[in-house]
Amino acid sequence: MSDSLLRTEKVTFSYSRKGAKVLDEMDIDIPVGKKTAILGSNGAGKSTLFSVLNALNKPASGKVYYKDAPMSYSHSGKIRMRSEVSILFQNPNEMMFKPYVEQDVAYGPENMKLPKEEVEERVQEALFAVGMEAYRKSPIMKLSYGQRKRVTLAGVLAMRPSVLIMDEPTAGLDPQMAYEVMEIAEQLNSSGVTVIMSSHDTDLVYSWADEIRVLNSSKCVYSGIPEPFYEDYQLVQKAGLLMPSVYRMNRTFANLGKCELEPYPHTQSQLSVKISDRCATDFGVMNVVKVDKDTDIPALLASEGLEGLPIGIYGMSARTARNKTEMSVDFMYNGPENCIRKCLSGEDSVLLCDPIMVDKAVSSADFINGNGYGKIDVRTV
Amino acid sequence: MMTELFRLEDVTFAHNPNVPPVMDGFSLTIEGGRRTAVLGANGAGKTTLFYTLTGVHRPQKGQVLYNGSPIDYTREGLRDLRSDVAVVLQNPDEQIFCSLVEEDVAFGPLNLGIDRDEVEARVEKALRDMRISEYARRPLQQLSGGQRKRVAIAGALAMQPKIMIMDEPTAGLDPQASMEVMELAEKLRLNGVTVLISTHDIDLVYRWADVSDVLNKGKIEFTGDADEFYSDPERVYDCGLLIPSVYGMNKDVSAVNGMDASPYPHSCSEFTAKFGRPSEVGTVYCVPVEEAEAADRYDSVMKDMRGMCTGVYGPDVRYALRERDVEFRFDAVDACFLKAVEGKDTVLFYDPIYDVSVKEQAKRLGAFGADIRTEAVR
Ligand SMILES: Nc1ncnc2c1ncn2[C@@H]1O[C@H](COP(=O)(O)OP(=O)(O)OP(=O)(O)O)[C@@H](O)[C@H]1O
Ligand SMILES: [Mg+2]
Repeated sequence: MSDSLLRTEKVTFSYSRKGAKVLDEMDIDIPVGKKTAILGSNGAGKSTLFSVLNALNKPASGKVYYKDAPMSYSHSGKIRMRSEVSILFQNPNEMMFKPYVEQDVAYGPENMKLPKEEVEERVQEALFAVGMEAYRKSPIMKLSYGQRKRVTLAGVLAMRPSVLIMDEPTAGLDPQMAYEVMEIAEQLNSSGVTVIMSSHDTDLVYSWADEIRVLNSSKCVYSGIPEPFYEDYQLVQKAGLLMPSVYRMNRTFANLGKCELEPYPHTQSQLSVKISDRCATDFGVMNVVKVDKDTDIPALLASEGLEGLPIGIYGMSARTARNKTEMSVDFMYNGPENCIRKCLSGEDSVLLCDPIMVDKAVSSADFINGNGYGKIDVRTV
Repeated sequence: MMTELFRLEDVTFAHNPNVPPVMDGFSLTIEGGRRTAVLGANGAGKTTLFYTLTGVHRPQKGQVLYNGSPIDYTREGLRDLRSDVAVVLQNPDEQIFCSLVEEDVAFGPLNLGIDRDEVEARVEKALRDMRISEYARRPLQQLSGGQRKRVAIAGALAMQPKIMIMDEPTAGLDPQASMEVMELAEKLRLNGVTVLISTHDIDLVYRWADVSDVLNKGKIEFTGDADEFYSDPERVYDCGLLIPSVYGMNKDVSAVNGMDASPYPHSCSEFTAKFGRPSEVGTVYCVPVEEAEAADRYDSVMKDMRGMCTGVYGPDVRYALRERDVEFRFDAVDACFLKAVEGKDTVLFYDPIYDVSVKEQAKRLGAFGADIRTEAVR
């Protein structure tokens, strides 16, 4: 019927019979294949909504639809929903089920009663996807907070969900690890997984989300792209939120006549290009180099004549291939954005990229190329 | 006027003899009255450092001086130390003592032997400051993650410490509550409390801190001005950190426009002033006002200033004006300054204690070419 993958219809939920309604006749829809952020103040009901979206909690009234079919709360129905819609909970310690890494990652698939070989295959794939293959046999107790977070993410991935829900995935993570987690989510999204995230990091959400949903007073008070919401300061305020800083600064620059209000920049480089004086002709070239996990990167760069340029990295196969060399990388995090920044300063750059992420990487130049701010040549190698 | 509060002399601490020390020869001075940020990757030892300052961990080597004398690890000594120093732990669940919110917030001060009436007043104020009064009688297990974090911060506020250490205070808090915590931190500082904050929100502390202490691989990697630290991207990367976004944008745009990177903008208003080059700036009408008079003052001031955007700064004025249609309820100083950069006038109501702070921020903005006027309203 629609392009929504998950949808609630007048869903009402309270934690106890006499308790306050945490969700009150809530209507919300999650578009398929996109990145949707759920926003709201502390206690707005984000985590509660997530538990309803994967059948962990059953609403008192109203319906939840997955792929247009009402959710079933039979035992098998619930098991199925939990493998289709997987949640990465905020606190990794709450999600650790077993003492060793590989056991913990296998826990979900085993519960799905999959054959042994398939479980094994999934565990391997999931640990690879989060860059934790080397820790397979490690006791979880010995891992750092960030590593635990990645193991729990592997456990979620091993379910091969169609929808990944991340409840404040970056809270408590240092900036580099936060980027790693976000990149893994990006990679899944590239392979067709619908991603939902709640986060209190306004700027991160603004640069990440295709769409936002805002919860307030037990209802969904806004659905759509971010800008119309942030335009309405009273609603923003009531919802316990603030405007993203890139959004605010863009507006001030527009009011000063420094640039047009639209197109709205969502990242630092996009705002920078709008306000900088550089003439549009002397941007550098971004070389997007497809890298499999077995690619010999130095040899490839040499054969393409791309040595000596600033290098960024993006995606798991590129990271794996890079780890096999001693090669130094300039941008281990936020590769596309940093390569674009280099190009804006007039230098060429190289982005080592997982083949599945190439479209995303290439599209990061769209804002500049498509809006008349100049032309960054993107070469795919 | 700086005074030395804590001094770590070559401190080494390992959780047990079989693992590498988390602190491997730390030497560090923490000065009173400065906004101090403690930065470092997950596992760099920030929390361990804090536990060392409160005497929970006793170094195997080296010593920790508090107010010039070595920490006294006897029972009485530690009790005295901990009545001066309050810590907000990263994970609020580790800090929950009682099942009801108000009991939990009262736990610390009652333990210090403060009398019940006084404790009750403090609890009420702390709950209000964190905007959780309505949950006073709720069991903690029934609160959301961010609500529990607010309870933990309220508990530390109620201790009225001389030193407030906050480990990841804004993680899990919604954007408004994060700004509010930073406001409260500033208020504590203006009241003479020294505030130490460790956080992964580099953009937030970049705006706030006077001094940044960076921990890396068991050592103090850097102490000093953040702009100096961030000028070396490799070092930043090696410490598990990233460059704050305003810092990065300033560097990029300055380079392209052929401008000096310095002065370094730390906030949205400073950034837009630097690159927007406003020809005419607006006035920020300042109304320092006590809570009891705030509502009347607002009504009378706004009669003359109809149509102007307004902001509130400080928990008391915010509370007093909760029914008024204030445009900027959080982060109002930066928001009003942004308007001024655009050439528009605004009215800023704030708790009187913040007066120096507002003036200081206005002066900083002046360095970016926006000489905004802050005019006191009679
Ligand atoms: N186990 C529980 N029992 C009773 N009430 C609960 C329980 N868990 C949450 N609540 C209440 O339900 C409401 C929504 O909580 P929820 O955890 O969904 O919020 P949230 O949006 O995820 O908040 P945060 O941003 O703080 O994580 C809150 O008012 C909270 O106090
Ligand atoms: Mg939550």
